[in-house]
Amino acid sequence: MTRMRTLLGAGAAALTLIGAGCSGGGDDGGPVELTFWHGYTEADGDVLEEIVDDFNASQNDITISTEVKTWDSIDDTLLTALSAGEGPNIVAMPAERLPVYASKGAFAPLDDFYADESSNTANLNPNAVAMEEIDGEKYGVPSGFVPLAVYYNTALFEEAGIGEFPRTWDEWVQAAEQLTVDEDGDGTPEQYGIALPDHATVANGLWPSLFYGNGGGIVEDGEAVVDSQENAETLEFWRSAIVGDRISPTGLDGIGSDELFSGGKAAMTVGGPWMASIATENDIDYAIAPLPAGPAEQAASAIGISMATTVDSSDAELAAAEEFFAFFLNEENSVKWSLGSGWPPLRTDIPAEAVAENPVVASLTEMSDLGRPLLPGVVNSVDVLTAVDELTQKAIAGEDVDTLLGEAQTEIQDALDD
Amino acid sequence: MSLHHPPTRRYRPPAPLGGRRRAAGGRPLRNAKAAAFLAPALIILGLFVIWPMLSALRLSFTDASGFGREEWIGLENYIEVFTDPDILNAVGNTLLYTVLFTPTAVAAALGLALLLNSPHMPFRSFFRTALFIPFVISFAVAAFAWSYLIDPQVGLLNYWLRGAGIELGNVLEDPTLAMPAVAFVAVWKLFGFYFVIFLAGLQDIPSSLYEAARVDGARAWSRFRHITLPLLSNTMAFVLVFAMIAALQAFDQIYVMTGGGPYGNTQTVVMEIYESGFRKLDVGFASALSYVLLIATLLLSLVQFVFFGRREKELS
Repeated sequence: MTRMRTLLGAGAAALTLIGAGCSGGGDDGGPVELTFWHGYTEADGDVLEEIVDDFNASQNDITISTEVKTWDSIDDTLLTALSAGEGPNIVAMPAERLPVYASKGAFAPLDDFYADESSNTANLNPNAVAMEEIDGEKYGVPSGFVPLAVYYNTALFEEAGIGEFPRTWDEWVQAAEQLTVDEDGDGTPEQYGIALPDHATVANGLWPSLFYGNGGGIVEDGEAVVDSQENAETLEFWRSAIVGDRISPTGLDGIGSDELFSGGKAAMTVGGPWMASIATENDIDYAIAPLPAGPAEQAASAIGISMATTVDSSDAELAAAEEFFAFFLNEENSVKWSLGSGWPPLRTDIPAEAVAENPVVASLTEMSDLGRPLLPGVVNSVDVLTAVDELTQKAIAGEDVDTLLGEAQTEIQDALDD
Repeated sequence: MSLHHPPTRRYRPPAPLGGRRRAAGGRPLRNAKAAAFLAPALIILGLFVIWPMLSALRLSFTDASGFGREEWIGLENYIEVFTDPDILNAVGNTLLYTVLFTPTAVAAALGLALLLNSPHMPFRSFFRTALFIPFVISFAVAAFAWSYLIDPQVGLLNYWLRGAGIELGNVLEDPTLAMPAVAFVAVWKLFGFYFVIFLAGLQDIPSSLYEAARVDGARAWSRFRHITLPLLSNTMAFVLVFAMIAALQAFDQIYVMTGGGPYGNTQTVVMEIYESGFRKLDVGFASALSYVLLIATLLLSLVQFVFFGRREKELS
């Protein structure tokens, strides 16, 4: 009988535990407590923690606690956390992931916040704010917006006798040819002029950037515009440079490109601000230049990060989160965040001198206005980006460009109509 | 000797099933006791298997995203499963993967089990353990290790093969080689389990049968064909069904090594489920796809069991 009682006791205890697990914390009338998930794990993470600590110290009503995860794991766990009612109040994520969450009702709209003068949003880079709009409503606040740029190995440039960084596509390819070295003449260069991935590029932005350069694009006003003469020319131009002139290996992805550059096997790579520290770690003397202008214009797809407030928040928590956003965007913190994270300031009214002490930020700030948001407002960005990857990978592999563009057009339009 | 003594507390012969009814009390109490013993398992199964399954079934008829609003949309998700070209591509890939993986893994496991069942094999225990080790390693870790081994720039395997004059190239970016590569990693990772099962099956076959066959002049192949294979048919059915289920659920190494690429060539059904659920937040559709996969797996397993059951009957 004793054993019986023990068993029943254990069962009851288990049930109690399960029950306890299901009930959340209560509102005790104290300060509003917010949880904030983000994926800033490097120096940027330290600065963000500092800003959060400053915010917590600046008043007595709100306490924010941060939870650092990788960007991928935020994406993998946010859905389950929100559906269990255990999600964060504030979450930062790659900007192209915002629309799908917003469209499914995971985030609170922030139009009123933007309309409020004290929100410090009036001078935000409009291209960065465009990342936050879905169906005309804003659901996020940018925490990062930086155009893709060329990171180049200055020692290799000097060796090749190239004094000035190229300004046009033709000059760019010419420089890359000069920098491509095939010493043993076996047809496989030992050093490539540039690492140009044909799929899974950094922040998925390389090919959109090249398309913009020739006046093309992928999606405009919710319609697929990928099947255009401009894009066909772009693909032909770069295929001839990559495959014909062998300025870059084929079949690369974004990570492979970074590795080639940091290993000194490629003189240039198109990447984000983190390439600066990767280059330094690998003893590579580098400089940063904007993407050279295409035949039509000079533009670059931007890497963007957004912060949003989730539906797992009460009105008081939403108001508290907005208060934090305003604090994050004030002039002092904008400069601090920019200098610490290595990303250019999000506000256009911050003068370049304010961030001059960090040379990476200074060079990136100069090219800030070249940046364009990647697929703003596109809910099914997953399928659109898959279609673009398939297009560029097959094009570089030698398939017919017009057929590929036609297929990509259909796939992208289907994804948009979903 | 002891059998003649009355049973002592320390040495009591086991009571036949149900024989202690009187000592423990009446039927209701016995039932309560049984329920109490079953309760932990039932609670866990109910909470973590049955409830999620029922909940997924409900979700499969909705446009749920996992939070907030959801609407009943009837069979729409199921219709999409059977018409969406991406899903049909994933089904084709999954079948190709199954065809590549299952026979290879089963043949490798059976071959090595036969080899290591032979008493003449030196270092038998060492090899048996060594072959099982990959199964113990986490799939994701194994996948990362293999990605590095076959990396075109820094891969050790590429380096060795280059020495032998074979250029492996960028296997994971090659539309024709990527699928065999991810299937190979699964074979390497999983065959150790099937190997152990086969080994157990082989050891169950009485050696007298082989001796009799030998006396009758049966050669090695005949002995394998007419003794080993028929007597292994139960084990074979089990291993085949398990291998096939593993193949239909292919995900881990593909997620790590190719992410479904190059251009969708290694995108499997489970990759689609993951992408629909966690990337596109279309949990309703992901649930419907999961159910279709579940039913397909059940049907295929059933067909195999019936096939092997009939064979066994024919043989006996």
